[in-house]
Amino acid sequence: MMIAEKQLFDPVRALEERTSAVDTQVLQAWQAHMAPTAASAALLAVGGYGRRQLFPYSDVDLLLLFATDRAAGALKEPISHFLQELWDSGLRISHSVRTPAECAELHDQNVELSISLLDQRFLTGGRPLYDALLEKLPRFVHSQRDSLVRHLSQMTRERHAQHNRTFYHLEPNVKEAPGGLRDLQLVFWLNQIAATTPKALAAPAPVPELNEARRFLFGLRGYLHYHARRDSNLLSFDAQEWIADQLGVADPAALMREYFRAARSIDRSATRVLETEEARASSLFAQFRDRLARLSNADFTVAREKIYFRSPQQLDTDPELLLRLMEFIARHGVRLSLEAEQQLAARLDEARAHFARPHPVWPAIRAVLSLPHAPLALRIAHETGVLAALFPEMASIDCLVIRDFYHRYTVDEHTLVAIQTLTQLRDSKDPAAAPYKALVSEIDQPGMLAFALLFHDTGKGSPGEGHIDASLCIAQRAMERIQMPAPEQQTVRLLIRCHLELSAAMNSRDPFDPATAQYLAHKVGTVENLKCLALATYADISAVNPTAMTAWRAGQLWQLYMLTYNELTRELDTERIAGAESPERARFIQGFPTRYLRTHSEAEIDSHMRLEEQSRSSGVAVQVEKARGVYRLTLVTADRPFLFASIAGALSSFALNILKAEAFANRLGTVLDTFVFSDPLRTLELNPSEADRLRITVERAVLGRVDVKHLLRSRPHVAPPSRKSRIAPAVHIDNEASQTATLIQVVAEDRPGLLYDIASAISSRGASIDVVLIDTEAHKAIDVFYVTAGGRKLDAPKQQEIQQALMHVAQAVSPVRA
Amino acid sequence: MKKIEAIIQPFKLEPVKEALKSIGIDGMTITEVRGHGRQKGHKEVYRGQEYNVDLLPKMKIELVIADARLDEVLRALTAAARTGKIGDGKVFIYDVAEAIRIRNDDRGEAAL
Repeated sequence: MMIAEKQLFDPVRALEERTSAVDTQVLQAWQAHMAPTAASAALLAVGGYGRRQLFPYSDVDLLLLFATDRAAGALKEPISHFLQELWDSGLRISHSVRTPAECAELHDQNVELSISLLDQRFLTGGRPLYDALLEKLPRFVHSQRDSLVRHLSQMTRERHAQHNRTFYHLEPNVKEAPGGLRDLQLVFWLNQIAATTPKALAAPAPVPELNEARRFLFGLRGYLHYHARRDSNLLSFDAQEWIADQLGVADPAALMREYFRAARSIDRSATRVLETEEARASSLFAQFRDRLARLSNADFTVAREKIYFRSPQQLDTDPELLLRLMEFIARHGVRLSLEAEQQLAARLDEARAHFARPHPVWPAIRAVLSLPHAPLALRIAHETGVLAALFPEMASIDCLVIRDFYHRYTVDEHTLVAIQTLTQLRDSKDPAAAPYKALVSEIDQPGMLAFALLFHDTGKGSPGEGHIDASLCIAQRAMERIQMPAPEQQTVRLLIRCHLELSAAMNSRDPFDPATAQYLAHKVGTVENLKCLALATYADISAVNPTAMTAWRAGQLWQLYMLTYNELTRELDTERIAGAESPERARFIQGFPTRYLRTHSEAEIDSHMRLEEQSRSSGVAVQVEKARGVYRLTLVTADRPFLFASIAGALSSFALNILKAEAFANRLGTVLDTFVFSDPLRTLELNPSEADRLRITVERAVLGRVDVKHLLRSRPHVAPPSRKSRIAPAVHIDNEASQTATLIQVVAEDRPGLLYDIASAISSRGASIDVVLIDTEAHKAIDVFYVTAGGRKLDAPKQQEIQQALMHVAQAVSPVRA
Repeated sequence: MKKIEAIIQPFKLEPVKEALKSIGIDGMTITEVRGHGRQKGHKEVYRGQEYNVDLLPKMKIELVIADARLDEVLRALTAAARTGKIGDGKVFIYDVAEAIRIRNDDRGEAAL
C-alpha cells in the first residue's frame, strides 16, 4: 500500500495511485465477505477517498448503502468481518451505514455526511440502490442549498476561529488552518452546490487560479504524512526542515514563504466564494444590499456588498484613485469585487511607477490610517499588491518568516495584527485593556502611530544584527517620498527607534528605581510621545502571538507608563522653564511650568508665540480650531482677576461643553489658556458665523467689555445625561504638594457651567489662579487648580472659606450664582 | 532532593536564569504571578487620581535539585535576585519524595 517516496514529487498522481491501491484492497475484502449479498447493499467511497485524493495516512471513508435499516441489520456479521479485514490490513476505515432516504435528509448534527456525499463514488454492490440515491441526491442538494451553505459557512468560521482567523502561523496545520486544504475543498464544494440542478449533481469544476497552490499543498501534506508516519498535518519546524531537505531547498524559511503565498491565494478565493454564497443564502441580503448601495460615490459603486470602479480606465490617468479606494474601504469596511481586483491588478505597474516618484500623499495616507476600518484597508491593499506599489519597502517583509518560539506570525502579518490591535482597543471590553482603550482616544494623531507601526519591523528583511536601524532607514525613504512634514517624521522616527524600550524596561529594569522613569522620560521627551509609545508597545506585544499580552503584562506595562508619565509631569509647578534656544522664545515661555514643553509640540509653541505677538496690539488674541470632532480655543492675554472664569463663562453661554482646560502664566504676566470643548447642540457646526461670534464674545469678556453673568442668563439649556450612579463630589486642598502655591482638586458630576462656577468661587474670594488642569472622564470632571493669594499660598482661614464655597458648587446639580 | 520555589521581581528573571545557568542548572518552570508580602500594594497617583496597585507583578521560579547542590544554588539565586530593597521576594525550600522522568521512567536524582 505504500507509495514509493520518489513518486511523491508528483503529488496529484501519488494520491490517485494510493486511491487505486486502496480500491483494489477494498473490493477484494468486499468480494470475500459481502459478495453473496450483492444486490441488497452498495458500497460507496466518500470524502477524500471519493475524490480519489487519498493521502498516505488519511482515513478511508466508506458509505454502505442499504434499502432499509432491517436489511442492514440482517447483514451485521458480514459487515463486521468486511471492516475488520480492512482494519487489520492497516487501513484506517471510517464508515457509515445509511439508506438512500437518510442520505437525502439534512441532519443538523451531521451535516458532514451531506457534504461528504458531494464527493461520493460508486465502488461495488447493488447498482439499483445507488441509482435510487442518485435520483434523490440532486433534488436534495438543490432544495437544501441555502441550509448547506449556512452550515458550511458556520463550520468554516468555527474552524477559522480555532486558528485565530489567520493563515499566518509559523507552524501551520496545512489541512485545517485558513488557506489550507479544507478551504481549498470549500471552494469546490460551494461551486458544486451552486451549480447543482434538481436533475443533476454538478461535478467539481476546475479552479485554474488555484492549481499551483493546490499542487504545492498536496505535496506538503504528502510529505508530512511520510515524515510523521501518521495522519499529521502540522507543518512543525522539524517537518519544515525535513521537507526543505527532501526538496533540496537550502532555507526552510523559503519553503514557508512559498507556503504562505499558496495559503494566501486559497484564503482569498475561499473568502470570496463563501461571502458570495452566504449573501445569496441570506434572506436579509436584499435589504443589506440596498443599505450598502447608498455608499456609492463619484469614484466607486457598491453592489452586492462589493466595491466596483465606476470607470477603471481612470486608474491610467489618476493613480491616486487607489488612495481614495483605500480611504473608501477604511471608512466603510466594504471589500473589493473580483472584477475590481482584476482591473486593479492589470494597472499595478503604472501605480508602482507613479508612487515611486515623490508625491505629497501623506495627508491621504494619514486619513486612511485614522479611519475605523484602516486594518481592513491595509490588509486588502497588502493582498492586492497596492501596498507594495505605494511602499515598495514592504516587499522585504512579505511573508517573511522569523523562526523563534514566541512569534506566531510572519513579519507582515505581525505588522497588520499590531495595527488591528490598536483599532480593536476602541471597542474592547477587556478590563485589562481599559487603560489603553482610554489612551487611544487621547492621542492626537492615530494615523501617525499606525504609520510608525507599519514600518517598525521593516528592517527585519535586511541582513545584519538588530533591525531598528534598518527600519529607520526604510521608513525615512518612504516618509521623504510621501512628503511627510518634518515634525511628524521626527515623531515616527522616535517611535520606531524606541519601540522596544518599554518592553525591554519591563524585563530588565526595576520600575521602582527612579532612574528607570527618568531614563524613559528622557527617551520619549513628551507626554504625547509616551502615550503613542505605550500603545505601540501594547500593540507590538499583542501581535507576537494571541496569548502574549496577558493581563499580567498589560499591568506591568501600565505601571511603567504611569511612572514615566508622572516623571514627565512631576515638575508641574515646582520647576519653571528657565531658558530657551532663542531670546524671543525665552521671553514667552520663561515662567511657564516645565510641563508646558512636555505637553506641546514645537509647532504648537510657534503658533502660541504668533498669538502672543497678535495680542500685543489688541490686548488679546483668540484662536478657535476644530480637530478630531472637538474644538480647541487658544487665548493669549495679560493676566487679570476673573480671567479664567470669564472665558469659561463665555464658552458656557454658547452651551459648549468644556472637556479639558489648561492655564499657564509666564514671568511677564502673560497668560496662555487652552480650552478643549465639544459642541453638543452643533451650534458652531450648523452656523458658520457663530464661530466668529464666539471668538468676539470671548475677546470682549476677556477685555471686560461684556458681563459674563449677563451672557449666562440667556444661555440655552442643555439637559444633563441620565445616569444610574451619581459621582460623589469632593474638594481636596493640599498645601504641601507645591512650594509656591496651594493645590485645589475638585471632583464633581460634570454639568454645564461647572468650570465657570468653580473658577468664580475661587476668584471672587481674592485668590489668583496660576495653573489649571481640567479633565473630564465620562461625566466626571476632575479639576486641579494651583492657587495663590497675594503671591503666596493660601492661609488656613482662606483655605476653609474656599473649600466650603467649592463644596457648595460641586454638590449643586444646576448652575450656582456666586 | 529539594524543590526551590522563588518569588522574584520580574526584571530579575534574566539575571537569575543566567546565574543558574552558569552553575549548570538549566531546567526550571517559570510562572507570571501577582502578589505581595510585607511590601504591600502601593498607590500611584495618575492625573490627580489614585490608582491602586494592590497585587504587584512577580515571577515564580520552581526547580528541583539534588540535596548536595542546595547551598550553591541558593547562593547563586539570591545573589542574582537581590537589590537590597523591599519587594525583592522570597525563596521556599521543600523536600521532594520522588522524581520520575515520564519518557523513560528514570527515578530519583537521575530524573532531574
